[in-house]
Amino acid sequence: MTGPAPLSGRQPKAVRSALAVLEEVVAAGPGVTAKEISAALKLPQATTYRLLNLLVAEEYLVRLPDLKGFELGRRAARLAVPVVTAPPTAARAVVEHLRGLVRWGVHLASFRTGQVVIVDPDPDHPPSDGALLARYPQVSALGRLLLAEQPDWHALVREERAFTAHTTRAADLDLAAVAAAGLARQCGELRADRGCLAVPVRAPSDGTLAAGLAIAGPPHRIAEPNDEIVALLRDHADRLAPLLA
Amino acid sequence: MLRDRSPVHGLERRRLGAVDVLAASVSGAAPSAAMAAVPVIVAASAAGATLWSFVVATVLALLIAGCIARFTRRMAAPGGLYALTAKGLAPGAALACGIALLTGYGLLAAAALAGVSAYVDALLGRLGLTDGRWVPFGVAVLVGGVVALLALRGVRLAARVVLLVESVAITVLVVVFALLLVGGPIPGPGSGVASPGLGGVAAGVLPALAAFIGFEIATTLGAEARRPFRTVPRAVGITAAVAGVLYLFAAHVQVVGFADTPGGLAGEAEPVLVLATARGWAWVPVVLDLGLIMSFLACALATTTALVRVLFSLSRDGVGPAALGRTHRRFRTPHVALAVAMPVVVAALAVPVALGVPLGAVLVTLLTLATSGFLVAYLLVCVAAPVFLHRIGELTWTAVAATAVIAPILVVVLVAFVAQRPILVAVLGVIVVLGVGWWAWLRWRRPAALGGIGVYDETVAADVVGGRIGATEPRARP
Repeated sequence: MTGPAPLSGRQPKAVRSALAVLEEVVAAGPGVTAKEISAALKLPQATTYRLLNLLVAEEYLVRLPDLKGFELGRRAARLAVPVVTAPPTAARAVVEHLRGLVRWGVHLASFRTGQVVIVDPDPDHPPSDGALLARYPQVSALGRLLLAEQPDWHALVREERAFTAHTTRAADLDLAAVAAAGLARQCGELRADRGCLAVPVRAPSDGTLAAGLAIAGPPHRIAEPNDEIVALLRDHADRLAPLLA
Repeated sequence: MLRDRSPVHGLERRRLGAVDVLAASVSGAAPSAAMAAVPVIVAASAAGATLWSFVVATVLALLIAGCIARFTRRMAAPGGLYALTAKGLAPGAALACGIALLTGYGLLAAAALAGVSAYVDALLGRLGLTDGRWVPFGVAVLVGGVVALLALRGVRLAARVVLLVESVAITVLVVVFALLLVGGPIPGPGSGVASPGLGGVAAGVLPALAAFIGFEIATTLGAEARRPFRTVPRAVGITAAVAGVLYLFAAHVQVVGFADTPGGLAGEAEPVLVLATARGWAWVPVVLDLGLIMSFLACALATTTALVRVLFSLSRDGVGPAALGRTHRRFRTPHVALAVAMPVVVAALAVPVALGVPLGAVLVTLLTLATSGFLVAYLLVCVAAPVFLHRIGELTWTAVAATAVIAPILVVVLVAFVAQRPILVAVLGVIVVLGVGWWAWLRWRRPAALGGIGVYDETVAADVVGGRIGATEPRARP
């Protein structure tokens, strides 16, 4: 009873009408009433009420406190592909400054969408494919920062894949250590010739994870403590925080 | 425009699964207890038409469930029917519904405790242990304490216990009845039960409908249910249907069992026990007692859970003492309301028992009083349904038709029910006087609280897609 009922796909009209109702709530704005939706879509009133109650029950829509007006529920947000905005020039300047200090690739990733999205890749040392980073967060240092932040990170690991002989299985990850240290590392797990260190960029106001700053180099060098480089990373992450939050 | 937190904050919001919510409603109706006890009462009026009385009662219960669903598909309120009534009718009517619900849940909880005591007593009697007035008294106090503890320790624990206990009870009853049905009628000279006519069917509907009371308890879990707009209306509707089917089955078994006996089912005092004894099954009474103890226990826990949420809501509305609206920090339950209500519930049963009133008489009186409370609440919520839909601009002709059918019937049922029992007139008179006094005091001292009665789990800022409300002005209403 708790799972969604399977859709037989035999009610194309109902599905079309439900989507039209959703679209009308978006177009008309918060507070639109059932009567207004029915009139705008030229749907029979009883049908409109039924669809609205269904969409409210599934939490795509909510009723406002007057019980007349409707607005998009939080679940509706999952229907839209999250948009990533490019980092401001001041933030790019900070990343560029770090690139001037180290010989390895420096990348900036945003976590705002709940996925790893590289927003400022190093032009001289291109990072791994963006689709791979988004799909397999458990094998990249940036992805591990994101996972360590989740109350239930298993939900974000959709698929396991051994990219190299060194790839750690998701079950063996020590994300508590990542969260405690504020530092994630992978050595040759995504590409055999590349390792990566990443530190979080947190909003100064509430400490939420906004972005990750990573440095990529030869795996045997990344595996070393690299205290100086980590200090540099943290210093630049602190400078990025007010610019990205 | 939107609040940051729900007016019913403090409860464990959006956590209960669909099955837990359903279990609460089923236990409230306590179908296993009614399966054993009610058919013979109905047969006393309806004789040969006993089954028809149950069919009519089931249809009525489904109509009431439909009226309730018009609200519960649109709002979730821990106050249950009274908070729903408030959205359709005047504050005075909502307060009346609240008082009716307090009477109903409070006395049904007491009656359920009385049921546990009565069957524990009967069980001890069968095992040869002497029974007295202090055994039921002790059992009532002890079980009342256990129920209070479970109701305090969080709504999910209570729901799980209710689900488990009620499932066992229903399974036991269904198995026993199925065995009795396979056995066929007790041999006899033939019954020759006269057809009672329409009047008999109608008279039988009264006790049959009373067997459904408590089936709406899921409404009080609205704020705590996951996906409440789907699970609550379903739970109430499914409970009405399932209880109806169980009652028809139980009535059929008992009518068939006495088909060849002079006087039929109506001539028996303890039909199930007679049927079992006739087949030489000495174990049936013991198993039945155990099943009924469990059913009444689940009913006591479910109704107590509902009772304290109604008290909690009345308090959050500002019409009751503010302390009753507090919730336990860890268990997220209205612990103050529980601490106040539970002693009253136990006393409603334990005091008469201690004074020497027979337990059976106490049980029947409590059930009768509770039923009249529920009937008033059902009537008010059914009348409120189309008014509410009209207010929010979503009125349909089916809503009007359902109320047009059910409301007059409920009025007739209520009048007939009260008129049959002089004690009801006296007790209800006292409750009405107290209620009017409460209402007058509120009108005088707290008119704003009374006007805003009917707190429910509103949409809060965290429930909507970020930013659109507050960033834009609310739309002008036509």
